Amino acid sequence: MKRLEDITLLGQKIANDDQLAYRQLFIHFYNNLFRFVMGFTKNKELAEEIVSDVFINVWRRRKNIEEIKNLKLYLYVSAKNITFNYLKKLHRENLANLDSVEIEPEDPFADPGAAMITREMNSKLRAAINSLPPRCKLIFKLIKEDGLTYKETAQLLNISESTVENQLSIALKKIGGAIRFIFRHN
Amino acid sequence: MNNQHSPSHNQFWSLLSKKLAKEANPEELQELHFILLNNPDLHHQADMLTEMWQQETKTNRSEDEAAYMRHIMKHKDEFFVEENTEETNDIESGIEESNGVFRSLFKRKSLTIFSFILFIILVGGAIYLFTQKRTVALVAEQAISSVVTKNGSRTKIVLPDGSQVWLNAGSNLDYNNSTFNKELREVSLNGEAYFDVTKNPEKPFIIHTKKMDIKVLGTVFNVRSYSDEKIAEAALIKGSIEVTLKDRKDQKIILKPNEKISISNEEPKAEKKPEKITSAKANPVRIPQFEVNDLKPNPTYNIIGEIAWTQNKLFFEDETLEDIGLRMERWFGKKVTIANESLKNVHYTGNYENETLEEVLLSLKLSKTFNFRIGNDNVVIY
Repeated sequence: MKRLEDITLLGQKIANDDQLAYRQLFIHFYNNLFRFVMGFTKNKELAEEIVSDVFINVWRRRKNIEEIKNLKLYLYVSAKNITFNYLKKLHRENLANLDSVEIEPEDPFADPGAAMITREMNSKLRAAINSLPPRCKLIFKLIKEDGLTYKETAQLLNISESTVENQLSIALKKIGGAIRFIFRHN
Repeated sequence: MNNQHSPSHNQFWSLLSKKLAKEANPEELQELHFILLNNPDLHHQADMLTEMWQQETKTNRSEDEAAYMRHIMKHKDEFFVEENTEETNDIESGIEESNGVFRSLFKRKSLTIFSFILFIILVGGAIYLFTQKRTVALVAEQAISSVVTKNGSRTKIVLPDGSQVWLNAGSNLDYNNSTFNKELREVSLNGEAYFDVTKNPEKPFIIHTKKMDIKVLGTVFNVRSYSDEKIAEAALIKGSIEVTLKDRKDQKIILKPNEKISISNEEPKAEKKPEKITSAKANPVRIPQFEVNDLKPNPTYNIIGEIAWTQNKLFFEDETLEDIGLRMERWFGKKVTIANESLKNVHYTGNYENETLEEVLLSLKLSKTFNFRIGNDNVVIY
């Protein structure tokens, strides 16, 4: 489902009023969009309302859905725009920027027992990820967890592709540094 | 530590990032490989980061499902598939649109003259009735609301009294906007629906189907009455319902929670017993043409078959491929034909949630084999 073709196919079905396809799209993207929005709003109810707005717009405009070239990117861009509009309305413009975003990436290893990962390493990794600068952490999360491409990330955040590339490699270098440290001490 | 900051190391992180993000081209992959060959100290980090990157992100399906339900409920008006088949009246349209209900109108010219005459009568009547505040009800006198689901799609609706109805694929539910919730709450159903009826003993809720009428005061239950199926049934989850069969109106059958009634959907005179009634364990009532049985969850899947569809599950329990074909036809919205007679009576059990039509068929043929061919809008099993 991460693949664009499948999402495009869902879009076509939704254009034909297929509520099952709509549900599938919602379920597939809800959590990731919710957490993306949460990074800006820091408020669960508001984040849920925004994601709900994103999807109801998809339903309302379903007849034109096939004009959207990249539905996945569209969902994220629309989530970002609605979020920023909300924050402006709430007179919190200062929060609507990438450097104040507080993203909470998932645990590096959801089930540390399964991989050959010590609990210590897992918490070191988490600490390293959490200590990344906001924008860097957001880019790391969007590419790793949300499966966005460099190009999509750049378009979503209005930055250049080379910035995305740099930020991701800075993120990996820092996280890698934490691993290296543990390795030396073992 | 020093060489961590050397140009080749910076290059390493950039290349590793590209590889993990699937952005690397073959040359870059080769370059990364070369750097790793020359820097064994980077292997461990590269392996660990790769493993971390490939971790499945954990998803909480039930959380997402719950969020979806809240989303649908919040915008419930937009998920009506409302097709008013019996009206073109502008006044009515105005009323409905002001409710913000999504709708697609079928314009019918043949009704225009009738509507016009009705309009004249209404204007006269309205003056008289104005003080009694019943104008709107009368204007909407012929407002039949019809909620229709096509094959392949299901919908949830909320009726004016707050009762919730989940309408399965290929079904329609009609009610009269103007009389509904006045003295009675009456709806007609062709197909399958799961009802959660708001309690109101003053205004009984009645569901008319081809073979039976079901009267309830406030309860949760499932009704299945597709005209092309052999059996019609009503399954009660909680509360109580009173069933009246169309061809024996004097007799009322009261269902208790976790019971279901099954009725032959075939035309009368064919006095044969319904073919497909299974699990005839407890049978409090036994009269030809219908049976009452206990609802029992399937032990393997822990699912009550009758209401599995409301949880978005396509579930069948020891059903013939012929019946399953009909179910799949509605579920997936593709015409299913069984070209080989001998397959029609083969029995299958299965539980599917997000599987595609092809995946369901592949899984079924694992237990007892058959061939199939999926076309654009049809499937042939042979």
